Amino acid sequence: MNNEFNYERPLIMHIDLNSCFATVEQQARPMLRGKPIAILNRRTEHTAIITASYEAKEMGVKVGMKYRDAIVLCPELIAVESDPAKYRHVYHKLLDIMKEYSAHVTMKSIDEGVIDFHHAAEPVLQRDMVDIGYEIKQRLKDEIGIWMRCNIGIATNRFLAKTAAGMNKPDGLTVITPANLRETLGKMKLLDVTGIAHRNQKRLNSVGIYTPLEFLDADVVTLQRIVFKSVVGRWWHDRLRGWEVDDVDYDVKRVGRQYVLERNDLVFDEVVERLHHLCESVGSRMRGQDKSARGIYVYAKTQDRQYWHSSTLSPLPFSSDKTIYQLARRLFDKAPDSLREIGIHCYELEPLVDDQISFFQDQLVRERQVTDAIDAINKQFGDRTVHSAHTLGTGMYVKQKIPFGSTRYL
Amino acid sequence: MNDETLLNERVEVIAVFGTGHHPCRPIRFRRTSGREIEVTELGLRHPVPTGLKTLHMFDVTDGGADYRLEFDSERLTWHLTMEADHYE
Repeated sequence: MNNEFNYERPLIMHIDLNSCFATVEQQARPMLRGKPIAILNRRTEHTAIITASYEAKEMGVKVGMKYRDAIVLCPELIAVESDPAKYRHVYHKLLDIMKEYSAHVTMKSIDEGVIDFHHAAEPVLQRDMVDIGYEIKQRLKDEIGIWMRCNIGIATNRFLAKTAAGMNKPDGLTVITPANLRETLGKMKLLDVTGIAHRNQKRLNSVGIYTPLEFLDADVVTLQRIVFKSVVGRWWHDRLRGWEVDDVDYDVKRVGRQYVLERNDLVFDEVVERLHHLCESVGSRMRGQDKSARGIYVYAKTQDRQYWHSSTLSPLPFSSDKTIYQLARRLFDKAPDSLREIGIHCYELEPLVDDQISFFQDQLVRERQVTDAIDAINKQFGDRTVHSAHTLGTGMYVKQKIPFGSTRYL
Repeated sequence: MNDETLLNERVEVIAVFGTGHHPCRPIRFRRTSGREIEVTELGLRHPVPTGLKTLHMFDVTDGGADYRLEFDSERLTWHLTMEADHYE
């Protein structure tokens, strides 16, 4: 790639639902419209806010803030418990709309996705991308509901399209081209650039780059050899000029779940029951992806903010809830007291195939058959129709919540 | 805090089955107390698969409170499962 900007027609569209979960709740429940609301995974005062409505954001409420801190800033804040089924429905509606314009649609998370129009049908390509953007906004209102709003960004690559979608919130539509790129970046701070967090900011600062415009003007050799010390520097150089470097699919590397304990005074046996529930949930997700694992990682955070973790690697792949729990439970024997959060994930994933169970045939085949039978029953009659008796009392606490950052389980 | 009342009340519902993006719209329902509620807006309808069975959740309002009506597509029954009206 050279030092030129990408002057081709902008054909990448990034769509981002504004304050998605809060907007969906305000859509579903008209009495909440125009009011500051916060979406929580549990309606307790020490729970963190996962989404805030624009009305709440105007009062200083931020995502990640504890509810008890947020009501100090905004006493009229209304807490609403998250409802994943609702958000999943809206996600699928949005996906259906996007797929009508191009077969090349990638959902980046439950509330944002990208349409690549490069290989779209000719009648679509003949249309103005801005018109299509406004049409999608209107369709969201017609097909889901009048309160739905989204931000749309259009550019020549995914990075600039996402940057554009982050501007003029809420309900904006922005196009970034080489003609307005400098003006756009000139209004931003380095930390506003997607992919630049504090560590990368430090690296850039070390060579005198303090603004996105200075980042744009940096030469590829400096970025590659001094700042990022790898090909990542060249990718940034190209990305900022509108060339596509992010059109890649990443394979699933691990499957996991975490849970913030509902009370601080749970005894060890109660914590272990919740760990067992997480193991069942992770096992089900993993098998749903036709994967087995060889590694288990468990972690815990204590009430005084200490982090503990332990892991083990098995010589044979496993996928049953029973084995996942047995391995996790053994590791958890060394967990500290006074826990606040627990988590588990399976790693070293490989395809779930029958020829892997060649050793210890009888035992493994039996376990696999039982697992398959349980999965079939749960698929027909609903999640957790059959599960361990040990987790009978945990369902009301360890509910399935929003899988952030991944759309694999939606 | 949001004041929601969770219920499991069997209700009688008049709904219109038509065409378009919202093919089923509840327009009025009668609670066990006999009180009739006129639906002024359908906020959102979303399905909740429960195994092979699907429940349809209708979030509606009468302009004074929000309600959730649950339609069991297998048993053809309606339940009022949530009422929320104390937002102030």
